[in-house]
Amino acid sequence: MKREQKAKATNEFNQVVMGNSLSKDAWRRLRKNKMAVISVVIVAIYMLLAITAPILPIYSYDEIVNEHQNLLPSLTKTSGELMWDKKLSDLYTQAWRQNRLTVTDAENEILEAWVLKGQATKVWDYLLEEGNRQLAEGSFEWSAAEKRTLDNLEKKIASDIQITIQKVWQTNQETGKKINISKMAVKDLVQLYADLLGVPTEPIVTQYTYEITESVSKEIQAEVTDLSKEEYALMAEQRLSDMSGKDYDKLIKANIIAKINSTVKDMALYELKSDASQASTTYPFDKEMSITDTVSASIKAAKMHDRRYYLGTDRLGRDLMSRIIYGSQVSIAIGLIGTFTSVLIGVILGSLAGYIGGKVDYFIMRVVDIMYGLPYMLLVIIAMAIFGRNILNLFFALAIISWLTISRMVRGQIMSLKNQEFIEAARSMGASTGRIIFKHLVPNSLSVIIVFSTLRIPSFIMTESFLSFLGLGVQAPFASWGSLVGDAVGGMTLYPWRLFFPAIVMTIFLFAMNFLGDGLRDAFDPQSKNQL
Amino acid sequence: MAEATTTRQPLLTVTDLKQHFPIESGFILKRQIGAVRAVDGISFSVYPGETLGIVGESGCGKSTTIRSIAQLYKPTAGKVMFNGLDLVNASKDELLKARKDIQLIFQDPYASLNPRMTVRQIISEPLTIYSNRKMLQPEMTKEEIETRIEELMERVGLNKAFKNRYPHEFSGGQRQRIGIARALALNPKIILADEPVSALDVSIQSQILNLLNDLQKDLGLTYLFIAHDLAVIEYISTRVAVMYLGIIVELSESRDLYHNPLHPYTKALLSAAPIPDPAIERKRKRIILTGDVPSPIKEHKGCYFYERCPMRMEHCATNIPPLHQVSEGHEVACWLYE
Repeated sequence: MKREQKAKATNEFNQVVMGNSLSKDAWRRLRKNKMAVISVVIVAIYMLLAITAPILPIYSYDEIVNEHQNLLPSLTKTSGELMWDKKLSDLYTQAWRQNRLTVTDAENEILEAWVLKGQATKVWDYLLEEGNRQLAEGSFEWSAAEKRTLDNLEKKIASDIQITIQKVWQTNQETGKKINISKMAVKDLVQLYADLLGVPTEPIVTQYTYEITESVSKEIQAEVTDLSKEEYALMAEQRLSDMSGKDYDKLIKANIIAKINSTVKDMALYELKSDASQASTTYPFDKEMSITDTVSASIKAAKMHDRRYYLGTDRLGRDLMSRIIYGSQVSIAIGLIGTFTSVLIGVILGSLAGYIGGKVDYFIMRVVDIMYGLPYMLLVIIAMAIFGRNILNLFFALAIISWLTISRMVRGQIMSLKNQEFIEAARSMGASTGRIIFKHLVPNSLSVIIVFSTLRIPSFIMTESFLSFLGLGVQAPFASWGSLVGDAVGGMTLYPWRLFFPAIVMTIFLFAMNFLGDGLRDAFDPQSKNQL
Repeated sequence: MAEATTTRQPLLTVTDLKQHFPIESGFILKRQIGAVRAVDGISFSVYPGETLGIVGESGCGKSTTIRSIAQLYKPTAGKVMFNGLDLVNASKDELLKARKDIQLIFQDPYASLNPRMTVRQIISEPLTIYSNRKMLQPEMTKEEIETRIEELMERVGLNKAFKNRYPHEFSGGQRQRIGIARALALNPKIILADEPVSALDVSIQSQILNLLNDLQKDLGLTYLFIAHDLAVIEYISTRVAVMYLGIIVELSESRDLYHNPLHPYTKALLSAAPIPDPAIERKRKRIILTGDVPSPIKEHKGCYFYERCPMRMEHCATNIPPLHQVSEGHEVACWLYE
């Protein structure tokens, strides 16, 4: 490619003469298609967000905050304020039920009607406003118990902090050098942990040995099912003894570091919660704190209830926005990788069948026919059941089944192309079968393949979503658009945003992909454009 | 000229070449129930430096002959001797080596060039294929291939500045020139031209024919040239073979054939061509053949032309006339001249 670009041809006026390839032509036409361009931009934004998700300033997608369950999406209010409102409306509703909060008969009737229709959110919203008004007027007062609850909540909102340990160092007392604990030897780590807890090292060694064995046998249990306990234990032992010393050390290290981190976190939290530090620190911060004489840690801390959830939270208090962004990672990856693999398999088999013909064609096409005969979804479900439910197997299961259509299509294309004179010309020049297929036939059917793949991506995403919706797709804590929608269906009436946002995000992407596919088809085949 | 050709060693000899396409029936166990006898036993020789024209109506097997000779189809029977090598039974490597010297020019300049390739890629393709296989004598570097492309483009009358362009950016005549340049790339000895001008308009036809003539003179090429246009064949050929229903009915020096056609089919064919002189054209008595061309599936026991021949005899119905020399360099397959 590079060489060709260098070898420029110039005419007698020393002007560069450039060819105008069919694909260049198509690209020019695509750029004229407004919808397609918008779609390209939308798809690009989605991809950018999905790729940059780890560095975006969003909360972790799997961080569960129990107090933040089912919070409303809000651009202005912090989670603390939302919690407060939620608690208030809860209490007002109770008071209304106990007839302490009095409303007019007409209002009562409306409220009852809402309750009957199951529109609890409306009741809450209404009573929150009404209660706040009456509280201000003085016609309603909290009971002592309620007051206590609210006071407690207020204190909690003000004081709860969330910290993450980023790095832990040990300071060598003689040299004064700081060492990152992830770079320490296993023995020193164990010693450090024992010192932190103030216990001898032996029980720690026993503990981690036990824990590692447990986790290994759990791993085995996930891989193979239907074995007795003894067999599992035996396999675990076998695997542990197969492991090299280095690998085993890695496991110990991971185990101990996690423990040190959590201990350090506890200690730091204890210190930050003390009254003295509460008065003096401002949140959020990101600084180094010394935990003991020798141990220090880089700590990120923020007020727990200062968080903002622009798209609300889900049933476990996880940020819906970051879940959608991380979910799009999975969904788009499945769309792209699934399409890529199926196109790869389909093009190779389809072109072989189409070009070679005869028995090869017959054999491949009968395989395709048989696989077509089997129910598509059932095959995927069986594959997922056999090979286990994880994302890789999902890719695999989708790919092995979805190459059928494209192989048929490519076969048809190639059959119509292979009797063209330029193929005969290539054969008369002694071109090999591979060269004819990949240099002549496939490039000439590329437009069809590209259009088909583009239109295939949404269908992959839909399939994945459907599987996730059924619980066969991605497993928690990972998310995909389908699993988000599936999770949200349960609380549809009370928490509509949990359904709405993933659904709208997915719809926009699928729309964009379809428009792009249509645009590409029009661009590659201008005659087919349906115009007045 | 006749003396010269007979004394020389033929470059290409086709002996009793048959190309039958089987007609199969049955679902899995296929059974052959017949065959389309596209080429049904033809023999001829092509001598170095000459142009053998093959003429005949549509469907008489002209193109199939060329494709069988180029081994694009595997011939059913017969021999194609080229440079002492039987192409039909040649091994893959021998065939590849021989193919370097046999190149094709195709009929449709729109279909014979890959629309996804630039002119550079198209013309250099044979060179790349053979250089990848290390069969190029002498070996060429990429730069040498580049200069060769430019040289070829100038040779066939294309501006070398257009080498990055794609076929759809050219006119029919220019495309045919690209096809010719591609055929010339490997310095072939013989070029099999499959109606190279029939898809072009008349003025372009003459340009292309002149180009082919010039190339023959300069490079010492041999042509096997197919056309259904008698004027084109008369202009370019040294010898002409007339084909009918998969066989050669008459083979002769070009001038001889046009002035003294012997076979009734040749006579009819020549009389079908209009003469660009209204006076003669009006007086001229045309031979009009009755009936249709028989199906090529039919197996013949007698003369292939029997059903339509205005001069058929009883003898013709049951005996196939062999190609028989009537005069020096003039062969005809007809019982009339026995």
